Amino acid sequence: MELAAKALYVRRGKKEIIKNASVFVKNKQFVGLIGPNGCGKSTLLKSIYKSLIPQSGTVFLDALDVLKSSEKKVSLHLGVVGQFNEMSFDLTVEQMVLLGRTPHKKLLEQDQSDDYQIVEEALKRTRLLDYRTRSYLSLSGGEKQRVILARTIAQQPQLMILDEPTNHLDIRYQFEILSCVKQLGISVLAALHDLELAVMYCDYVYAVKDGEIYAHGKPEEVLTPETIEALYQIKCQTFINPVTHRLGFAYGI
Amino acid sequence: MVNQGARRGMIGYFYYPIILLLLFLIAISAIYSVSIGQVHIPFNRSMNILLHVLTNGKLGSSDAVGNQSYFTIIYQIRMPRVIFALLIGMGLSLCGAVMQAVVQNPLADPYIIGISSGASLGATIAILVGFGASAFFANFGIAFGAFIGAVVTSAAVLLLSSIGGKASPVKLVLSGVVVGAFCSSLSSLVIYFANNAAGVQQVAFWSMGSLAPSSWDKVPILTVVVLIGCIIFLFQHRVLNTMLLGDESAITLGINLSAFRKIYMILAALITGTMVAYAGTIGFVGLIIPHICRGLFGADHKRLIPATLLLGGLFLIWADILSRIVVPNVDLPIGIITSVIGSPLFIYMIVKKGYNFGG
Repeated sequence: MELAAKALYVRRGKKEIIKNASVFVKNKQFVGLIGPNGCGKSTLLKSIYKSLIPQSGTVFLDALDVLKSSEKKVSLHLGVVGQFNEMSFDLTVEQMVLLGRTPHKKLLEQDQSDDYQIVEEALKRTRLLDYRTRSYLSLSGGEKQRVILARTIAQQPQLMILDEPTNHLDIRYQFEILSCVKQLGISVLAALHDLELAVMYCDYVYAVKDGEIYAHGKPEEVLTPETIEALYQIKCQTFINPVTHRLGFAYGI
Repeated sequence: MVNQGARRGMIGYFYYPIILLLLFLIAISAIYSVSIGQVHIPFNRSMNILLHVLTNGKLGSSDAVGNQSYFTIIYQIRMPRVIFALLIGMGLSLCGAVMQAVVQNPLADPYIIGISSGASLGATIAILVGFGASAFFANFGIAFGAFIGAVVTSAAVLLLSSIGGKASPVKLVLSGVVVGAFCSSLSSLVIYFANNAAGVQQVAFWSMGSLAPSSWDKVPILTVVVLIGCIIFLFQHRVLNTMLLGDESAITLGINLSAFRKIYMILAALITGTMVAYAGTIGFVGLIIPHICRGLFGADHKRLIPATLLLGGLFLIWADILSRIVVPNVDLPIGIITSVIGSPLFIYMIVKKGYNFGG
């Protein structure tokens, strides 16, 4: 599934948060969104997945006009792993993942055995099979994030949006989450903080600065010392890591 | 924490037996409830009379029915009262569970959006200012005033919280507090200037909540309202569950919560308003019953709503029984009983180790 978000413009009060930003995700492409805190990455993603309505611009998923379609229709194709997943009530891991089937259900429809099959598969992919009866609130941050990912997998989207999915996670969980998403083989748009992870997983990168797309292209083309300094106001040298043979970053030099 | 998950799994396994047990207990308690009171009627006679009435005379012994005074006491006085207790217990617990999901806060109860103070204001005006005295509203005045008060208040809260964008849970709760405080002060004002000691006492008595005014002519409306509410919300578990996740996640699952939130609040306000109109404000039921059920079965509304309905009904039948036997020959307002049982129970649940508002 292809995503085309064109000329998005978001204003809150008098502050322009997104100014004329366009983002494209081709079929089965893993696209990264990088940029400093407060540059508008989350807002840009939110205006794509209908959590907030942009003042102007269009969002299309293939032929589906996202901004003019119902939430339900959009959620059949588009899954989101968001940043805030705290709640005041408790569900078991399995119940939580089962909620991912919501878009596929009519209001009065019961969960069928293939729904449980899909949930089982999602739990297996996120290695949560032993957690199904655990209470969600008792889990650690990394485990919670995996549950949310499992829920989004159970939603069976053709495009997944991830808003800083690896925040606060240790190295192992960062890799686990992104590898799991990559293995799904669907289109992905992910806001990322860690540039090395962006190099490792992304086919294409958009760099956001002050609500505008500052640069875009293959990770190796975009992540130059000049661009990084312009984005984050920090000196940086890039090198080819002798072990991974990928782009590496040395900051503050 | 691992044990906790395992424990819930185990109780979850007994879910259907527990539901059946609750149904059985409700039936037994209802029969017991019509037996006791100032005139004690033996249990088997009550059962016979109930069977006789319920099956239109096909079942049940006509010997027992033959005793006309027993029949009158049970049929005219105690049966509507048990039905009231059952329905109001179900309705309050249902609205409690729904409001807790709607404002995403486990401390919500059916009155959170100012319904109780609005209904009190309506009842106060009806009693002290007066359309209660006119012929048309003679029997109907207080209930009518309370219902109008409840509905107008919740509409005001809904409007107030929708100003400047979507009605978020926090805005709902704050608007409820503000409008509630405003209504209370108006009630106080009316009471202060009313030169009517008997009326003031009636207001106080009404606000304690009581099942004493129950009668057959009020049963149909209450039954229809509460049962329709139950049926609607029994099928809303999917939306109620996504409500627990918050607006952001719900939208990504294809559900726009703010629309559902409004509909649910209006439904809950109509149900609560009807119950308040007939029986005053009965506290703690709507707060505590959903909590107990969540502790037993978890927060999944597919299981929570049926269990909440039955436990709520059972709880209020017993609160009603207690209100009639705690002090001999005195019919205590049931609101006193529910609060006396409810508050220590709630303290216990909070103090109890590992209680985390979910199960």
